[in-house]
Parts: sequence; C-alpha cells; structure tokens
Amino acid sequence: MQLLNLNIDKIIIHQVFRRNQDGKVKPLQSHEYTVFDHSAMTVFKRRVIDALGEGSKAVQMEIVDQCATSVSKLVDSMIDQDQETFAVSSFDIATKLADAQQTRSIPGGIVVVFTGTQGSSAKKFLGIIKAEVHTGYEKKVHPTTNEISLKFVEELLLTPGTRLYKTVGFFEKVDCEETADDLNDKWAVMISDYQISQADGKAAAKYFYEDFLGCGYPKTNARVTKQFYEVTSQFISKLSVTEVEKSHLINALTTYLKADVSNVVSASEFAQTYFNDLATQDAYTGYVKSQGLPTTAFTKDVEHVEGNLNVRKVRFGSNVRITAPSEAFKNLVEIKEIDGEPDESGVRAKWTQIIVKDRIVRQE
Amino acid sequence: MNESELRSKWTSEKLIYERWGQFIISKLSEELERCVDNLDQFLKIPPRVRVKTDASLVDKAFYRKKNYEDPYNDIEDKVGIRFVVLLIEDIEIIRNIVVNADVWEYDECRNFEAERRKDPLLFTYQSVHFVLRPKTPLTLDGHTILSQTACELQIRTLLQHAHAELTHDSIYKSERTVKPNVHRTVAKSMALIETTDEFFSSVTRELNYGPLQEYRIVELLDSTFMTYTGLTPNLQKSSIVIWDAYEDLIDEKLIENIHKDLINNNEYKFLSSTLKERYTENTFYQQSIIIFLYWMLLTNKSRLYRYWPLDGRVLDPLANDVGISSTWEV
Repeated sequence: MQLLNLNIDKIIIHQVFRRNQDGKVKPLQSHEYTVFDHSAMTVFKRRVIDALGEGSKAVQMEIVDQCATSVSKLVDSMIDQDQETFAVSSFDIATKLADAQQTRSIPGGIVVVFTGTQGSSAKKFLGIIKAEVHTGYEKKVHPTTNEISLKFVEELLLTPGTRLYKTVGFFEKVDCEETADDLNDKWAVMISDYQISQADGKAAAKYFYEDFLGCGYPKTNARVTKQFYEVTSQFISKLSVTEVEKSHLINALTTYLKADVSNVVSASEFAQTYFNDLATQDAYTGYVKSQGLPTTAFTKDVEHVEGNLNVRKVRFGSNVRITAPSEAFKNLVEIKEIDGEPDESGVRAKWTQIIVKDRIVRQE
Repeated sequence: MNESELRSKWTSEKLIYERWGQFIISKLSEELERCVDNLDQFLKIPPRVRVKTDASLVDKAFYRKKNYEDPYNDIEDKVGIRFVVLLIEDIEIIRNIVVNADVWEYDECRNFEAERRKDPLLFTYQSVHFVLRPKTPLTLDGHTILSQTACELQIRTLLQHAHAELTHDSIYKSERTVKPNVHRTVAKSMALIETTDEFFSSVTRELNYGPLQEYRIVELLDSTFMTYTGLTPNLQKSSIVIWDAYEDLIDEKLIENIHKDLINNNEYKFLSSTLKERYTENTFYQQSIIIFLYWMLLTNKSRLYRYWPLDGRVLDPLANDVGISSTWEV
C-alpha cells in the first residue's frame, strides 16, 4: 500500500504485559495523547511506512470476525469519535490484545493506537502497533574529553528493526459505503508481522492477526499468485539477456513460488534475491506495480499455478518442445547457446545445445 | 625633453595616471561580475595599479637604448595593470570586454595567439597587452584625464605569469649577455607552459561538461519546480553531489519521464502543496532536485538508496511524503 500524503493526528499509547503464573495481567491505561515534535513524528511515520507502505512486507487480510465486540467493529466506531471517547476506546484495543496473548511466551510491550489520513483524497485510517520492549545501549559523550561510553538501556521501543513490532492498519477504502454490511467493503486491512513470512510463522503470528484482530487470509490470493507468476514470466522474457540466463530466472521463479518456505510473496524480495543489477530490480518492481499487483507482500496460494510450477517448458521456433518436471529440468537439463552454420550472407544462426544428463528410455 | 623636465611632468601627472588605472580596474571588474560566478576566484591575483617610479621611468626613457623621439608619450606603460586568470579561455572573456567597451580607445599591442601564428617556432614570453586611452577626456574625482593618457593592461594565465616573473628582470632587462643554454631552458619552460595550459583547459572542459549540461537538466527542472509550486528554486552544493551520484540516469528522456510519472500524474498532485509547505521549513526542499528525488523514490528506489551520497536521514521525510518504505532495513 502506497501511503501517500500520510498525516497522523492522534497517538495514544497503552502498556500490555507478559502473562504471569496467575494468568492475564491487566494492561496499563494512558489518559493523555502523545505529542511528537517534528523530527520524532518524521521517524514515527517512517516506522509506519516501513511496516505498511510500498515495498514493505505487509500483507492484506480479510476481516472475518465482525461481531459487536470485535476489533474491526471497534475501529469502525472509533474512527469518528471525539478525543475523549477515543482515548477510552483505545484502551479497549489494548485489553483485546492482552486477552489474545494467551501464552506466557508472548512478550509485553506497548500498544500504540493512532489515526490520520492518507492518499490524495485524504482517506481516514486507524493504525495499531504492538511494539515489544527490548534492550540496547545509549551513547554517552564525556563533556570534556568527547570520548564515548555506552549506557545500558533496559527498555527500548520502536527501533527500526521491524522484527520487534507488529503493525496493522485499517484503511478506509475509496468510494466506500458508510453503512456497508460487510466491513471488508469499507476497510482494507494491512498487517505487518515478520513472523507471517517465516516458515513456521503462521502459528506464531496467529494470536495477532486472528485472535486479536479477527482477520484471516484472503480467498483471492490464488488468483494474485497466478498473476504474479505470469507478470514475472513476461518480464523475464522481455529482458535483454541471453536465453540461458532467462532459463535460470524462470527456474528461480519456480523455486521461489514452489519451494520457498515463506508464506508470503513479495515482488521487492524476488527482485532483490534474483536480479543482479539495481536497474533491473527497479524496472521489475515498477512493472509489477503497473500491472496492478500489490506493491507490498501478499500471502502465497499456488493453487492456480500448480501446473506451471510442476512442469518446465521450453519451446523453439520450429515447434520443437522440451517438457520436464521442474525439479528434473533444473538438475538434469543444461541449455547452452551456440553459433550455428552461417547462412547465405555469412551470418551465423543462433542454435541451442541441450544436454540431458540421462539416457533415453522410450521414443514415439 | 630632458631628464629634469620629464621628472617634473611625471610628478605632476602621476596621480592622474593612477586614477585612470583605477578606473579601468573597476570598469572591468564590474563587467566581469556579470559573466563569472565568483570574481575573487576568477582573478588569481587581485589587480592593482602600478605606477612607474621616477627612477624607472627615467631609466627607460634615456638609458635603455630605446631611442624614443618623445619619451614621455612614447612610453605607454607609465601606469600598468594586470589581470591574471587560470585558463586561456578566461583571457578571452576579459579581452571581449575590453574590445567592446565604449569608454576607451584600445591598441592591442601584444597578442600571443597572433605571435604564435607569426613565429610558430618560437617559445617566448606570452601575454595579451592592451594600451587603453580615454575616448574623450574624463573627469574622475576632480581630475581630468586627457585622451592621450595611456595605461597598459596585461592579461595572462597564472602559468604565463610565472614565466614572466622568472624572466622579466633577469633576462629581458639584463645588461649582461645571457648564455645560450639559459635561453634554451627558458624556451623549453614556455613550451611546457603552453602545453600545460592546454591540458588545464581540456580538464576543465571535461569536468564541467556532462549529461547534466548537455540536456540542460537543472534549467528544465528549475522551470518545472517553478510552475509546479509557484516558488523560486535555489541551487545548493548538495544537489551537485547528488547529480554526480546518479549521472548514469541522466538522459534526454529524463525530464519527460519525470513529467509523465510524477508531475502529470493525478495521484501525486498533492506533492505540489507538500513542497510549498516544506519550502519555508527546510532549505533542502528549496532545490528543484527534490522533484528528481521524488521521481527516483517512485521509479528507481534501489539505485537511489544504494548510491545515496548524503546522510540517509535526509531521504526519510521524502520517502514519507510518497509513502515508500526504506530499504536500509535488514
């Protein structure tokens, strides 16, 4: 999500705690709004955009739980509340989070609830950050010698490492209906949580996106994943590199979608991993964006591309084809471009040499 | 005119000649201010008026085998001024001003370019010399400068000046016979100086001319900035450093692409008011390069971050404006 023209008007921060042996610890309520000065606000916006903006690993989710006590309903009513009521309601969010943190392995931290507008038409949004407390050091400079020493800081918050905070944004959709029955028609929900993209992350992240926010993976991702596959293949085929390099890139795309343990797909991640030069990386992310694909990450669903991922095909001009299971193609087929025989004008044709590291078992 | 008549005439008119010299310096400086960025840097030695001492004038008039008919008027360098610059082409800038000014009559008595053509095998003292006299009598600070008042103006490069400094008194005015090998060495130095001056010129041309100049990027972006925001952009050192880092992205399509992707894209219309707000808060936002940087964030983010030459935090507010997450992240 490209958070253009981001403006933040309210920030209120409550504290949540790790469970103790007696169970839930009641969150600590703040009654005052936090007011950041100019540079602190710039950094805060940076954190929000790094978590949810274009190029981030945030994924869009669907609102599943829409009952009266759900977070989404709460957000829907809070967005227009006056300062005083909003401050009180925001604590309900902190309480919901504390309820969702069922195990003692989940650390405490702060819950930042904030609102503002974004986009060229200044649509409203509400964001929630759960930031875990971690330790660090503060630089101290000796006033006379200018030498530095480090002071241990037990509680640091909102440092740039996105591993240490989970962020959600409820973004009012353009042309939304105020009274939509389904909250999904009114709100787009983006969730940023590094655990979602980890191999075993779904379960770890579940308490946040499901138990706390009442959200789930969208059903349409099989289509988006297929589109991602097609758009990326098209881009690779148009690159001005050798056919051999293209073949490697197609293999990489297959591996990325099929074998990669992560649950999310991200164009910027693919670009950074597989395209060597920065110009191609930027051209690729630009192309993906122009084709209407998400500029953040999205959850992977390979249902519609299973066929493409399982079989690698190479087609030649003269109707010659090679087909192989992707794995076998990657491991056993070697493609090389060679110079063919010269034509009448002496120009050598481009031929392809193929080595299959196996013997023939049958011919038709 | 005998020696004592010459002395007394010179004593009475010295001040007038000095005023004339000062007038030429200020007139030339004033004109130069208009065509160079920084006059103090352009002139390698601050010009000043040098008036001949009585002794040196008498010496030149009567004791240097010059055989003047009218020594007082024939000696044209009773007052002299000198403009020393770095490059051969800088000389041409001053020369142009001299020949186009309408307050004086000029006599170009030495021009090393012409002398090189005339004596291509000779390597000797090189400089441009003019003798300037008022076209019509002038009154300066109550002194009348008559039209026969001559002042010699020398224009030369720093290297030509170094050569002149070495040779002027020791060789040109030497009463002793100078050995041939000394002449030969001095001529070799001049050949070297002429070569080096050419190298200096070509280096300067290469340094100051690149795609940024070829495609007039700064001018075009400045005018884009003005129409987009209604404000006047300022050029600062920081933008030169930035252009330098992204020179490979500058081509004839750049400005067109910026217009297509950013300026004429309705989605980013709000940036025009964002710029207006930031203009007073932050001098960085007063440069037209800001538009290029927004465009880079939107279309060439990886390269922008990888080769960013300044403190990374400078980009943070810009990335915030267009909602782009940073790639500093691990």
